[in-house]
Amino acid sequence: MEQLPLPSSLAEVEALIRALYSRNPPETISKIQEVLQRLQKSPQGWQLASSLIASRDENVRFYAALTLIVKLNRDSTELSEDDAKGLIENIVGWILQSLADGTSAFVTKKLSSALVTYFIHFSHLWPNCVRHYVHCLDLGRGVSIDGLDDALPTSELVAKLSPQQLKAAIWFATSLVEEVGKTDMNSPKFAIVHDRLVKNASDVAYLLARSFSQPLNTPGPKIQDDALNCFQAWILYAQRVPSNTEVLITPLRELVDPAVNCFADQELFQPTAELFSDVLYNYSSFLTESHYGALAALFDSPWAAEYYNRTIHGNHEEEGISFGLLMLAYGDAKVQDLMTSPDDRSQRFLEKLSGLLAADGYVVSDDAIFVPALEFWSTFVETMIDNTFSDEEETKSWKPYADQHLKAIVMNCWRKIQFPPAETFAEWDSSERVGFSDARKDVADMLQSVFTLNASSLVSFFADLFLQSVAAQAWAEVEASAFCLGSLSDCLSDNPKYDLELSKVFDLSFFELLGEVHGSVPLRLRQTGLSLIERYCEYFERHAEYLPHALNLLFAAVGDPVLGSPSARSISTLCSSCRSILTGEAGAFLRHYQVIRNSQVLDSLVEERIILAIASIIQAIPDENQRLETFNDLYILLKNDLDLAVRLKAQPGLLNLSDPNILRGVDPPNPQVRPSADEVSLQIALRSLRCLANVGRGMQDVKEHPVDLDHDLPPKQIGAKLASIQADIMGVIIEIQRNFSTSGEVIEIICNILRAGFSETEPGPFVLPPDVVTDYFLRQTFETPRLGTLLSTVCSFVGSLYSGPKLIVPNHLARLLPWVISILKALPEPEDDTEICQNGIGLVEKVMARYPEVLFQLQPSQMLEFFFMFSLKVLNGKEPLPKSAAAEFWSSFITLKSDDNPSLQATISGAMDHLGPLIALTLVQNIGGNAARSEIDRLTEPLKKLTSNQPRAQAWLQQALFHESFPSTQVTAEDKMLFLKKIVGLRGARTTNQVVREFWLSCRGSNFAYVS
Amino acid sequence: MALCQNRLHEERKQWRKDHPFGFFARPQKNSQGVLDLKVWECGIPGKEKTIWEGGLFRMTITFPDEYPTKPPKCKFVPPLFHPNVYPSGTVCLSILNEEEAWKPAITVKQILLGVQDLLNDPNPDSPAQAEAYNLFKKDRAEYDRRVKRTVRENAAP
Repeated sequence: MEQLPLPSSLAEVEALIRALYSRNPPETISKIQEVLQRLQKSPQGWQLASSLIASRDENVRFYAALTLIVKLNRDSTELSEDDAKGLIENIVGWILQSLADGTSAFVTKKLSSALVTYFIHFSHLWPNCVRHYVHCLDLGRGVSIDGLDDALPTSELVAKLSPQQLKAAIWFATSLVEEVGKTDMNSPKFAIVHDRLVKNASDVAYLLARSFSQPLNTPGPKIQDDALNCFQAWILYAQRVPSNTEVLITPLRELVDPAVNCFADQELFQPTAELFSDVLYNYSSFLTESHYGALAALFDSPWAAEYYNRTIHGNHEEEGISFGLLMLAYGDAKVQDLMTSPDDRSQRFLEKLSGLLAADGYVVSDDAIFVPALEFWSTFVETMIDNTFSDEEETKSWKPYADQHLKAIVMNCWRKIQFPPAETFAEWDSSERVGFSDARKDVADMLQSVFTLNASSLVSFFADLFLQSVAAQAWAEVEASAFCLGSLSDCLSDNPKYDLELSKVFDLSFFELLGEVHGSVPLRLRQTGLSLIERYCEYFERHAEYLPHALNLLFAAVGDPVLGSPSARSISTLCSSCRSILTGEAGAFLRHYQVIRNSQVLDSLVEERIILAIASIIQAIPDENQRLETFNDLYILLKNDLDLAVRLKAQPGLLNLSDPNILRGVDPPNPQVRPSADEVSLQIALRSLRCLANVGRGMQDVKEHPVDLDHDLPPKQIGAKLASIQADIMGVIIEIQRNFSTSGEVIEIICNILRAGFSETEPGPFVLPPDVVTDYFLRQTFETPRLGTLLSTVCSFVGSLYSGPKLIVPNHLARLLPWVISILKALPEPEDDTEICQNGIGLVEKVMARYPEVLFQLQPSQMLEFFFMFSLKVLNGKEPLPKSAAAEFWSSFITLKSDDNPSLQATISGAMDHLGPLIALTLVQNIGGNAARSEIDRLTEPLKKLTSNQPRAQAWLQQALFHESFPSTQVTAEDKMLFLKKIVGLRGARTTNQVVREFWLSCRGSNFAYVS
Repeated sequence: MALCQNRLHEERKQWRKDHPFGFFARPQKNSQGVLDLKVWECGIPGKEKTIWEGGLFRMTITFPDEYPTKPPKCKFVPPLFHPNVYPSGTVCLSILNEEEAWKPAITVKQILLGVQDLLNDPNPDSPAQAEAYNLFKKDRAEYDRRVKRTVRENAAP
């Protein structure tokens, strides 16, 4: 950008400033700004400011003040002490001039800011700034700082100020504390400035006292308004000052009573309320007991009654809620005292606070005080809990009073969380809706705390409210009662003690009520009712007589777009935990499911949950024959879907979008463009496979079986029927994978299906014979998608083998190992697929840790050699996860021993001879600077193992430290030797980590200190 | 210990006073219903206009005795599919790491907002689980599909 030339006369400068504040294109403005800033920064800046201040144009004078501030902040050191003393006289003089000639406030305020900036830089010359400023105001001119000792006492000077002068002094005192407050009081440069500021507090107090003593209820702007603002700024500052607080706080405290008086002026109510709310919430110890007494008396006055009434019945949007917030702030500060004082005034006050939970209108959209009031009551309840459970000895005479309040707030909350009529709700915007539902959650939260204090009465209270409102068909009330009962479920669901109360609610009329699909019962009530069933799952386990009603109700709702998802979740929770009671219903549920799926396409997640539910009931059928038969009925349904997927894939002509079975594969349900047969077939396959995986999860046993510690027993024998089901499942899996061979999702779900059987100890359809599983894995090649996920499944499989019969394990491992290594070998670079790399190394580690002989017998032996080199390369690589797996592998390799097998031990030792120097080299390259900071600890593990287990470690490490590949030039040979001596001496102790970290840092050089 | 409790009381108070929409965070209750301030149950909503929108993910925050000198531990329950979440569910995030960006002044609200940001903006330099990290790097379409499914399974009520 082309620069403007520097102006050559004052008139030109003024013209530029005027242009700056006129309407000009942004480009011109920035050019002007640039040239003016250059001028400000030049040594002539000081002179410029004092010349400009004489202008008659207010914008120019404002700019002059700004220039002063810039100069003070930039070039204070240029001024001699005399110049600086002269400057303060001038600035004060200019302010007085502005005040006298009626200059606009924005100029005077900017000049006041310049005074504050002056104080920040020259507080040593101007320690009594407030007194000096007042003195000058009194004299009507800027005078020398040195003559201050002879001036009248500050109180007398303040008494003489005109209202306008008083206002100017208050402005200065306010901006003084705000601006100095922004500087860091812990830095040596500013600490002294803060010290001097604090000493001005008593002078400020004179100004405030005089302001507060002015008559109230007069027309026009009031000095008290400015004084309240200034007072608040000083109190806020006082809270942050760590020491010497008495000098500051004592004079300020004197002003509390005069400030309270400001409440008497309606126009001052707002700033006064804000001031006290702020102090009560954030700095309650500032106020003394006598102040609290004054406030308490005020809250008990007819004046307060009027304000309270407006808070309860007024329009919060127009009138605000300051008074309510003030009461709550007082309550918050004195909660402990209020709770434990049975006197009338305290109790009346608490009653009013509880009344704040019953203001007119709906929460959030009309009523803004409910949420803050609820916050106070939550604190109250928690304080009550603390007191109730802490001092056992103390008599709690206050408790009955507090309980009374709890009753009232519970009732108020119950009323307030009731939903409005649907048409009102529809008018709310999204933040009002979210706010309302958040407020309900907060109520639920508080009720759980109240339960701690008054368990039984709370349950019967809501149960009774429920019944009464059902009788009155007051649906919003029924919903609120159900919601409140639901919120208590975590506290009482597993305790039969409350069943009698709950039985009042969960009787036949409850199920009839919620079953009314087309009646007057609103959707929201059905929703809350259904979730109530889910929440009290354990109740239904104890009262099986109602379980079928509950489930029928839920099943009826699964097709509903809103209720479907929560209902399906409830079904799966109930069926899973009540499975043994429901075994007789398995067939009926299955038929029910078939009916539903024939009539509509369910949401896929809903369907999965229903399937899971049915499978978990089937799992609990005691008779094996019957169990497998019912299982088969369910399985056939899914198998038919999977067959359909395969057929459709092969014959795209079968795509008929009016066939409900085919529609199951159209996702999203109503597509813009006609989907292809390929897409639909894949979706059907995925959906049905997912259902199958859920059957697998449902069939998992939830009972604990005795674990057989002697694993040498042969595998459990299974019957022909089960064997044929297992074979069928495996066949289906293979067939689907063959047809959808490029889908990663298919593999992912197959892995989930296989995993479902791994953790089982008893035979079952998904507990596939290990041979079958191993065969399946061995069939996979490098081309199989999501191979990394598959390898992680193989790791789980090996884990499950380890907890089964020992005899068969080595054979499986010997088959899997070459396959895994061949996959790693197929990777073009180790880090091309971090998941394969990490899980592949993890798997080999898992084999080596338990069955080292399998690893060392691997044929051809080049395979093993490849793997060792591969994992060393990974250990020196950049990918954190495989690197971490490699570090673990080498840690266990280094400690590997075989005491009972001398020939194996010889092989291990031979390998160690060969690999030890290479491991040391790789580790040292990492520690020498190649590793990232976050990897150091993990890489130190194998190093510690090396120094504590291998006698030749020292030699290997020394060789590595002085190898030409050592990455750093920042450390000397002595540093390296010292490091070596330390780590060898530590023999693997924990301090090694610190030593390694420090060495790594030195190798990286100081520039890298904070780079990871 | 007292410092830890006081700070947690204050955190609880601040959270009640001001918390972002859609989040929840509350101390767990022990068997008598009394609050255990050192373990919080939280819910983090997926951000609007991201693939995480519509989900609500449950996370536990456990505060150590040395809190706030030491950072709390955040753990998704159940574990979450995400590049920076360990298979155990523990979140890997610089502001939760004592040796990185943890500062005692960091509030619960900042932590939860930080984790929410992390959802759609994973840090590929600190992978914590291979599955999500690998898909994130190699097959973004599959990654997105998987996230969307996670969102459906954890739909906000």
